[in-house]
Amino acid sequence: MSKLGNERKNNLGPSQLSDVNQPLLTVNHITVGFQHNGNINKAVNDVSFQIKEGEILGMAGESGSGKTITALTIMGLLSKEASVLGGSILFDGKDLFRLKPEEFRKIKGNQISMIFQEPMTSLNPVMTVGYQTEEMLLLHENQLKQAERKRKTLAALKEAGLKDTETLYYQYPHQLSGGMRQRVMIAMAMICKPKLLIADEPTTALDVTIQAQILGLIQKMNQEYGTSVLFISHDLAVIKNTCTRAFVMQEGEIAEEGTVRDLFNGPKKAYTKKLMAAIPDLSSRKTGFPFSDPDAVQNGQAVLLSGKEKNILEVRNLHVFYEEKAKKLFSKKTRKQVVNNVSLTISQGEILGIVGESGSGKSSLAKAVVGLIDSKTGEVILNEERPQMVFQDPYGSLNPAKKVGWILEEPLKLAGGYSQRERKSKVLKILNEVGLPDEYTERYLSQLSGGQRQRVAIGASLIRNSKFIVLDEPVSALDVTVQARILELLKKLQKEYDLSYLFISHDLKVIYQMCDRVCVMYQGEIVETAFVEELFRKPVHPYSKKLLEAVL
Amino acid sequence: MKYFIRKLSSLILTLLLVSIFLFISFQVIPGDSAAASLGTSATKETVEALREELGLNRNVFVRYFSWLGNALCGDFGISAQYNMPVSLLLKERMPVTLWLAVLSIALIIIISIPLGIQSAKKEGGVSDRVITFLTHTAMAVPPFFLGIIITLVFGLILKWFIPGRYISYSENPGQFLGYMIFPAIAIAIPKTAMTIKFLRSSVIRQLKLDYVRTARSKGNQENVILYRHVLKNAFIPVITFIAMVIADVLAGSIIIEQLFSLPGMGRMLVTAISNRDFSVVQAIVIYIAAVVVVINFLVDIIYRCIDPRVRV
Repeated sequence: MSKLGNERKNNLGPSQLSDVNQPLLTVNHITVGFQHNGNINKAVNDVSFQIKEGEILGMAGESGSGKTITALTIMGLLSKEASVLGGSILFDGKDLFRLKPEEFRKIKGNQISMIFQEPMTSLNPVMTVGYQTEEMLLLHENQLKQAERKRKTLAALKEAGLKDTETLYYQYPHQLSGGMRQRVMIAMAMICKPKLLIADEPTTALDVTIQAQILGLIQKMNQEYGTSVLFISHDLAVIKNTCTRAFVMQEGEIAEEGTVRDLFNGPKKAYTKKLMAAIPDLSSRKTGFPFSDPDAVQNGQAVLLSGKEKNILEVRNLHVFYEEKAKKLFSKKTRKQVVNNVSLTISQGEILGIVGESGSGKSSLAKAVVGLIDSKTGEVILNEERPQMVFQDPYGSLNPAKKVGWILEEPLKLAGGYSQRERKSKVLKILNEVGLPDEYTERYLSQLSGGQRQRVAIGASLIRNSKFIVLDEPVSALDVTVQARILELLKKLQKEYDLSYLFISHDLKVIYQMCDRVCVMYQGEIVETAFVEELFRKPVHPYSKKLLEAVL
Repeated sequence: MKYFIRKLSSLILTLLLVSIFLFISFQVIPGDSAAASLGTSATKETVEALREELGLNRNVFVRYFSWLGNALCGDFGISAQYNMPVSLLLKERMPVTLWLAVLSIALIIIISIPLGIQSAKKEGGVSDRVITFLTHTAMAVPPFFLGIIITLVFGLILKWFIPGRYISYSENPGQFLGYMIFPAIAIAIPKTAMTIKFLRSSVIRQLKLDYVRTARSKGNQENVILYRHVLKNAFIPVITFIAMVIADVLAGSIIIEQLFSLPGMGRMLVTAISNRDFSVVQAIVIYIAAVVVVINFLVDIIYRCIDPRVRV
C-alpha cells in the first residue's frame, strides 16, 4: 500500500495535482449567519473554494475568522443558532444542502469525516476506545461480522500509530494522553477510508514533538489512500509544511488564496502580509541584552557568572514536589517529584526562557520561584520583594465580574499606604503604559478580548514597580497577530523599566524572539542552558535537538 | 472487590461514629427518660429508684456498649411513652413509611425520567415549555398545601378516598394502597419537578459537549446519540440527586403523615421528641443515618459501574 502511495506522490507535483484531478468538493458562495437580537451576524460570507482529489488544501486564519463554521457547514454539523443563508456545496456530484437527512447521514463518517481540535473532549468519556472506533463500522459497514469488525478496528488503531491495540481496545479515553486520543480520532475518521478528511486544528492542543508526528500521520493517510484533506490551522508554519494549496480567511471571507509557495513568498493582500509578519521569525531578532554578542560568548553560563550585573534570582538545587491525595483514610500521603535539582540564575535586566513540553515541570518551577508552592527543597534567592506572575489563560485567571480599574487597584490596596487619588493616578498611568485607553477602567473584564485581558494582567503585575516578573505562557492562548503585539509590549516594558523576566513557553519561536538565554526542561530537569542563538545553532542535548527538529 | 470491602468498612465505621455521637449527645441533654416518664409530680426518691431499675446509673461506657449490643440484636429498649418495646413500635410504624417511600420513589422515577429527557430533547419547543412551566409551578407549592389540595380534589370532590380514614395493610392491602397513593403523590410532585429540572439541564449540558459533535460527525442518528452516547453521561450527576431524594423520602415526611393521619415514623418522631421518649428518638435517628449511609454506599457502587473515570 505504502509503495503505491509513494509512487503517486512522486508522479504528481502540487501544480499537476490541480490540473489532472477533478474537484471532489466544490464550495459555492456559501454564507452562514447567526441570529443575534434580530440582526444576522454573518460568520461566513460568500466563501468559495474547491478541493481536488488527493489534495491537502490549507485553510488559515485567526480565531473568529469563520474557519470552523465553514468546516461544520460542510459536515452539516452547524448548531441550531446558525443558518445557511446561501450558496451550495457539491461533494462527489451531490448537492449536500439538498440531500435528505438520512442520505447525508450515510455520507458522514463514511465519505467525509472530521477530526477536531480538542482530543481531550472529543471522545465519549464513558465508552471504550474500541467501541467508539468500531461504531463507525456498525454505522457504515454493518454487513461485517463481529470478529471482522474487531479485526478491522485493531488494524485501524495500529495504522494510526497506536501500540498494544488489544489492551487499548478496552481502555477509556481518560487513560490516554492527548496525542494518543488524537490518534484514536484519526483511526476513527479513517477507518471507512473516506474521500475527504476535514482536520480542524488537529495539532493545536498538542505538544510540539507530538504535533509533528500527527501531521506526518495525516500526510501518510493522504498519500496511502488518496484521501483529500481540508486542513484548518491558525498556525501558518503548520500550513506551509503540510499543504500544497491554501487560502486565508479573514472575518468570514477569503482574503487570499494560492499555492503555499506563492502565499509565503509574495503575499499580495495587506492582511496576509500582516499575518506573515506576525509569525515569530527565527532570522530577525532584536535584543537588548549586553552579553548576546556571539563572539564574546563561549558558554552561556560562564559569562553570566562573571557578569558585572547583580543577579535578581538565584535558584540552587531546587526540588519541587506535589503531594498526592491519600488513597486511603489512614495511608501516608505520597509525594511526586515534578522539579528535580534545578539551578539557574537571572541577572538584572535579563530575560531567561524556559522551554519544555507539558508536564516537564515548567509551571511548577515558576510557581516555586514566586512562592506559590511550599513543598520544595533547595534555595531560591530573590532580590525582589514583590515578584509577580502573569498566567497563561487570560480568561480564567482574572475575575470576569470585576472592572479593569478594580483589578489594577487591588495590588495597591493590598499593599496599603496609597491614598485613593494616588491609586487612581497610578492605575491610569499603568493603563496607558500597557496600551489601553483611560475609559477602560470602567469596563468589565468580560467585555475585553483575550489580548486586552492579558494587557490588564501585565499591568497588574507592574503596578507596584516590581522588577521581576514570571510570565507563564503569556501568549499561548492568543491569536498570532495579538501575540506579536503582546510580545512587543513586554519587550518595550522590559527596556523601559529594566525588568527581568522568567519567560515560560512551549513555543521555541516565541522563546527565540523574546529571550536572551534559555533553559530546556525535560521531565523535571534542566537538560541544557544556553544563549538562544547557541541553542538554535547547535543544540547539545538530544532532547533539545528533537524539540528544534519539531519546530516547523 | 477490594473497593467493595473498603466502602463497606467505611460504611460500618460511619454508622458506629454516628451511634457514639448520638449516645453522647443524649447524655448531655438535661433530664432523662426516668424523669420524663414519671412526670413533674414525682419525688426525687421515686425517680432515683426508676433510674436504678432502668440502669441509668451505670458507667457511660457500659451503658453505650449494652445499648449498642442490644441495638444490633434489634432491641432498642422500652418506649417510656407507650410502655412497650421500641422494636415492636418500629415494626408497626416502619412499613407505613416504607410503603409511602416506595410508592413516591416509583412515581418520581417513572414520571421524571421520560419527561426530563423529552424536555431536553426538544429544548425550547412546546413540550419543553409546558414541562418547564409545570415543574416551576410544582416546585413553588409548599408540600402541606399540596396535601390539602389533593385531599380537597381527590378526597372531597372526586371522592376517590375518604380523608383521614387510614386503612392498615393487614386490614385490606388493596384499600391500603388505594389510600397511600394520595400522600405518595403529594410527596412525589415537588421532588419529581426538581428531578425533571435537574435531568433536563444535565442532558442539555451534555448535548453541547464535543463528543456529541464527534458522534454526529460519524453519521449517528439523533436518537442513537441521545440514548447511546448522552444518557449515560447525563445520569452521572442525576444519580447523586435522585439518591438524596430517596434518602429524604425514606426518612419519612412529618407533614404529609400528619395531614393524611398516617401512623408512620415521621409522626412517631415528633411525639417522641416532645415526650422525651429517648429510646424511640435514638432508634429513629439511627434508622435515618443508616438509610443515608447505605444509599451513599449504593451510589458509590453504581458510579463505579457507569463511570470508568472513578475506577482508579
